[in-house]
Amino acid sequence: MKTKMDFPSINERKPDGQGDGGQAYKVLIVDDSMFVKKQISQILTSEGFEVVGTAGDGLEGLEKYKELYPDVDFVTMDITMPKMDGISSLEKILEFDKEAKVIMVSALGKQDLVKKALMIGAKNYIVKPLDRVKVLERVLQSIK
Amino acid sequence: MRVEYINPFVEAAFDILKEVLGDEVQRGELYLKSTSQAVMGVAAFVGLAGNVEGRVLFDMTMETAIAIASEMNDETLTTLDDLGKATITELANMITAQAVTKLHDLGFTFDLTPPAIFTGENMEITDNEVEALIVPVITKQGKIEINVAVRERT
Repeated sequence: MKTKMDFPSINERKPDGQGDGGQAYKVLIVDDSMFVKKQISQILTSEGFEVVGTAGDGLEGLEKYKELYPDVDFVTMDITMPKMDGISSLEKILEFDKEAKVIMVSALGKQDLVKKALMIGAKNYIVKPLDRVKVLERVLQSIK
Repeated sequence: MRVEYINPFVEAAFDILKEVLGDEVQRGELYLKSTSQAVMGVAAFVGLAGNVEGRVLFDMTMETAIAIASEMNDETLTTLDDLGKATITELANMITAQAVTKLHDLGFTFDLTPPAIFTGENMEITDNEVEALIVPVITKQGKIEINVAVRERT
């Protein structure tokens, strides 16, 4: 008779959102769209990441980062936002913590801004519409 | 109005809608309107300003907007609440951003305004001195009309 013991490996995979010690990677999501925030949050929490904060513009994102630091592993950052855009927020976060891992989230068509963000020090970028597999791949590349 | 302005929006709408709805979309017949036009119930509006100026409208019925927002959120929405509006806004954002890249490659330069959403009954839109080109795009969730009224700045 087959038992669960015959298939131990598939279901026991450690979620990608957890480090070697089993602790969840902590993310701050900065985006002015409630829809995008929800989407990113769903994709990441389904893999075991922990959303420790969200912000609706670059300025709030910067303040939240400072508040959460050092209990935040990475940030997803929209580019076009009111009050302070994602590139300025990225710059200021890096001034505060030069090791900060910031992943830009952009609609297709903002290549110049994405390039600028990468030159400044963003770790990676994700293009909308968001694809679950690509989001996870880019996030994992950036934090590991 | 030159037809080359509308094609990038239609191509971008096709690409993005196919991706976010996970289904085929079909293109209806292009038509031109030079007077006031009825707006179906939910319209995402994006303004263009530069050496090309005007506006783009993504127009649909309330039922279609709710069905699209439900599909994109993977949950059943019963009204077009804040999340639903944010979803349609983001859809307009993604389509226009991709279209603008294509138009920039063709040598047109302009900036976009953030999308605004209009909802209501019996609305109409009138464009002075510029005619609108409209391409209906048919999805499983209903019809979206891509309505572009732009001109070159003189």
